Amino acid sequence: MNKIGGAVAGFFRGIGNFFGEFFAAVAKGDWAVKLSLLVWGAGYAKRRQYVKATIMTALEVGLILFSVCFASQYVPKFGTLGTVQMAQEFNIETMQMEFNDYDHSFLILLFSLFSFVVWAVGLVVWMRNTVACYRLQQAAEAGKHINTFKEDCREYLGDKFHITLLTLPIIGIVIFTVIPILLLIFVAFTNYDQQHMPPSALFTWVGFENFKSLFSSGGMTVTFGYAFVRVLGWTLVWAFFATFTTYFGGILMSLLLNSKKTRAPRLWRTLLVITIAVPQFVSLLLVRNFFSNGGIVNTLCARIGLTGWLRSIGLISTSYIPFLTAPGWAHVMIILINIWIGVPYQMLIATGILMNLPSDQLESARVDGANKFQTFRYITMPYMLQVTAPTLVTDFVKNINNFNVIYLLTDGVYTTTNQLMANSQAKEVDLLVTWLFNLTQNYYNYKMAAVIGIVVFIVCAVFTLVAFNFLIRGDKEGVYQ
Amino acid sequence: MKKLLSLLLAVTMVLSLGVFALADGPIEITVWGAEEDQTYLAERIEAFKAAYPDQEFDITLGVESESTAKDTILTDVEAAADVYAFASDQLPDLVNAGAILDLSTVEAALTALAGKTLDDIKAANVEGAITAATYNDKFYAFPFASDGFFMFYDPDYISAEQAETWEGLLDAAAAAGKKVGMTLASGWYNTAFFNAAGFSTSLNADGTTNMDWNGTSPDGYTGVQVVQAMQAIAGHDAFMAIADGDISNQIAGGDLAAVISGTWDTKLVSDTFGEDYEARALPLLTLGEDQVPTRGTVSFKMIGVNPYATNTGWAVMLAEFLTNEESQVARFEAREIPPTNIAASESEAVQANKGVVGLTEAAAVGVVQSVGGKYWDPTASFGEQIAQGTIGTDEASIQTALDQLVEGVTAPVG
Amino acid sequence: MKDKRLGSIVSHNVLIAVLCIIWLIPIVWLVCMSFSAASNMNTSTFFPQEWSTKYYVQLFHSDTVNQFKAWFMNTFKIAVFTCIICTCFTLMVAYATSFGKFKARKPLMNVAVMLNLFPGVLTMIAVYFTLRTFGLTNSHIGLILVYSASSGLGYLICKGFFDTVPRALCEAARLDGCNEARIFAQIVIPTSRPIIVYTIISSFLTPWMDFVFAKMILNAGISENYTVAVGLYKMLDKSLINSYFTVFCCGGILVSIPIAVLFFIMQKFYVEGITAGAVKG
Repeated sequence: MNKIGGAVAGFFRGIGNFFGEFFAAVAKGDWAVKLSLLVWGAGYAKRRQYVKATIMTALEVGLILFSVCFASQYVPKFGTLGTVQMAQEFNIETMQMEFNDYDHSFLILLFSLFSFVVWAVGLVVWMRNTVACYRLQQAAEAGKHINTFKEDCREYLGDKFHITLLTLPIIGIVIFTVIPILLLIFVAFTNYDQQHMPPSALFTWVGFENFKSLFSSGGMTVTFGYAFVRVLGWTLVWAFFATFTTYFGGILMSLLLNSKKTRAPRLWRTLLVITIAVPQFVSLLLVRNFFSNGGIVNTLCARIGLTGWLRSIGLISTSYIPFLTAPGWAHVMIILINIWIGVPYQMLIATGILMNLPSDQLESARVDGANKFQTFRYITMPYMLQVTAPTLVTDFVKNINNFNVIYLLTDGVYTTTNQLMANSQAKEVDLLVTWLFNLTQNYYNYKMAAVIGIVVFIVCAVFTLVAFNFLIRGDKEGVYQ
Repeated sequence: MKKLLSLLLAVTMVLSLGVFALADGPIEITVWGAEEDQTYLAERIEAFKAAYPDQEFDITLGVESESTAKDTILTDVEAAADVYAFASDQLPDLVNAGAILDLSTVEAALTALAGKTLDDIKAANVEGAITAATYNDKFYAFPFASDGFFMFYDPDYISAEQAETWEGLLDAAAAAGKKVGMTLASGWYNTAFFNAAGFSTSLNADGTTNMDWNGTSPDGYTGVQVVQAMQAIAGHDAFMAIADGDISNQIAGGDLAAVISGTWDTKLVSDTFGEDYEARALPLLTLGEDQVPTRGTVSFKMIGVNPYATNTGWAVMLAEFLTNEESQVARFEAREIPPTNIAASESEAVQANKGVVGLTEAAAVGVVQSVGGKYWDPTASFGEQIAQGTIGTDEASIQTALDQLVEGVTAPVG
Repeated sequence: MKDKRLGSIVSHNVLIAVLCIIWLIPIVWLVCMSFSAASNMNTSTFFPQEWSTKYYVQLFHSDTVNQFKAWFMNTFKIAVFTCIICTCFTLMVAYATSFGKFKARKPLMNVAVMLNLFPGVLTMIAVYFTLRTFGLTNSHIGLILVYSASSGLGYLICKGFFDTVPRALCEAARLDGCNEARIFAQIVIPTSRPIIVYTIISSFLTPWMDFVFAKMILNAGISENYTVAVGLYKMLDKSLINSYFTVFCCGGILVSIPIAVLFFIMQKFYVEGITAGAVKG
């Protein structure tokens, strides 16, 4: 836990320093530094860095224009998420509908967030700018060389290269990941659902109502709480099995293929890799039809009498084997099918890692007379685990969010026989993500989907923190540098 | 008569075009129709352009299956097509989301340009279709096709008399070593048994559904009785419960002697059962001492107009044009889809079509379903439970199952 | 003694063969189905009753449902651009986090870990409206952005690889007066071929595999604009599956071929790339 504590302390220290520098700059700066609080370029202009001054001032003007022309339309309505209901009237002259100037709650929320992010960035730039002007002043007072614009630019390929590298990717991440995630968090506190769908209706803030309805049962059978516990349970079971079966399957497969006894290992490996090459939506939809109630596997099973036998021992009550349609059967099948698509992948990874297995250890084990299992148990496995522990953690999180496998195998095929689950639009085989996808796609219940999304995040975060702090000791980053 | 009518139409058009200034640029309209309809729709759109030669159009045709139209439209109403085809069970959701235009707001344009009032349209189509296109007393969409289910059977194995009742049907199929297929895990299909007993569902203005299947119906049957009858059918050796999307596969598989499906499978059935296949309403259901008709769901396909369309007036014109008598006849010729237009369905070709006959027979006893979004998942689960036999056969467990079903269906929306 | 050894070799290889057969059964089925003469799924026998290549021919003759040629070109175009942007972004972020020595490095990396924990499907609707604001829905540019804009978050494996690049080499270059940009371009990139290949392959594959985002962004129903995944997925629609199942199988196979070839050529690099990062990272 020291690591987290250290990180948190470091974070606050960093913020403290940041503000400290800024206030020091404001307090000790000359008139140009103080003026640069208002006109960003002022400090540079005084030191004859005219290009930089122009750029910074242009940036400032841009920010002001953004605030006046764009943000002002949305941010003031952020508190209510809009009050003007859409109304329309048909104009027979133009043969068109005429709309009033209505509010669109979702766009208000989205664009307000967008504005907040832009302003936050603007604030940081403004403060850094003041500090930079102050540094310039200090340099000038100490009689040091003031960079020309060209020299400044060169710095961005030298000491400040990381800024050059990171700017575009970070902008991408902020627009396409950070803002959507923030939006999701905010939606969890609104009543955005089928009754409140923009643009025809407005939605508004409701506080913690949605969280309450997820965690309280209220005596009714129609509760998200009931379904939630079961879906969460299966999500964790699935993530555990999906991660470990493919992991060990991959290792075993690669040991098998890389054994000296294997003839033509490349051929075998290539054959296995073909299964990765077929896109999942093709291979999974195919397998789903392969195992469907009236599918080819069922036909064959019925023909060889397997179906009848299972029926006679009471394992099934239907005239077919419900591979993907009954709880239990479907759970097992999904994990087996996941082994099918996951093992070749893990096999490739394991092959690469085992190639790096220190051969002297294997050699000495052989000399000591260890048998194959002992070698595997005491040398190969510990090495693998040590190397791949972080990937195991990320794989687990990926499996919690493994949308494709579950959706493609069960959507439209699996019908729950648990009425209480059905009443919450859930199925026994749903993961939290497929459930929330279904809630948004078919029931437009964005508010509950957002709440579930946050819960998924918390589950993943807790798991990752615990795993990284207790299972994986130390940060290996420094070792190789 | 027809000539006179078209003359009249032309006159009104000339008059009306005098009133409305023609738009300067081309009128842009986007249309969504099913994959299978693309060729047909493209032809009809050309016909529409030809019908209004003085106005320039720019009409884009896109693909969106009628069964999924709602999902795509509600994600972003403003980006959805101006004119779209959808299945009638989606109407409540579309209305509640404000994604479909109340046609009375644009009736004036329709009258002026096409010379039709909404009453003309209502009169031209079968009553059920108009009921299905109406929600909260407002008329929302132009129906163009009947879309219910009925029964196909193979006369090689099942006689007309045996097909009269479920028992006869199943026994005959069992004797021939064949199966009878039906989808149970869908509220669209399994409601047929409850309708048979006189139960019904209805929709409130707030989108919630009323359902009393756990009680006693106006005809005096209890929900428990209906479930027992369903269990008897589902438990029969010759019965095969088939998942919603899998029916066609199973027909092609060749194990079935009878199947509950719709006109979309007519061609397939004719290929598998032979051209002498028969189509009829669902068999009689035995409830206690009585035999009552199994009342299937009567649904329709219709075309609606997006209220956020740029050129709403012309979009309505196009929607009306794509569903008028001429278009429905053309559609039947192209795809054997039973029309809702009364005049169009009186043609000999339509009357001779076995699928249409079966559908008409089923529709005669059928029920127009009116349910909200919360109806589907619980009823699907309920049907699946019957199919898999997970509900006990004693009255108490059936009653519990029904109570839970009703609770789920009648739950508040949101 | 020799017999026993031979026996164990035989049984070992037989075991592998059996496993491979199990793994390939569905793929073989896919291939068989694609050569079936019937348009719908065959549920009674494993091999089709009649063989034919007519659905491959049909696949290349576009109709209102099937526009495979256009889909393939669209996906290829999207994949190439996605691949370029993703690779650049990933390498850039990986280099900055591996070689950079700036204060915000650790906090940024922690934030990246956090962001990766949120389920992607839920952010879809927000991404959609963001794109719509810029008028990029129903455009391939929008789709490229969706696939590539956040790719910086997937820098970890690549960073793991960069961490193994000997620092002495960079120090020497620095002493010779090289700036960071030249070290990046002339020293680090050339020594990182496996990881670059790995990044290129995995980002190139995304557009071929994804149908959820593609279906959401390309929502105007214009069939020519679809990607392969969306187009093929729609063929399995209830009303189409009977006439298009075999065509779907043909399409699935044709999509797999370039991907498979890519894998075979790059397998060595791919394995090195993915493991080098994992082993040392």
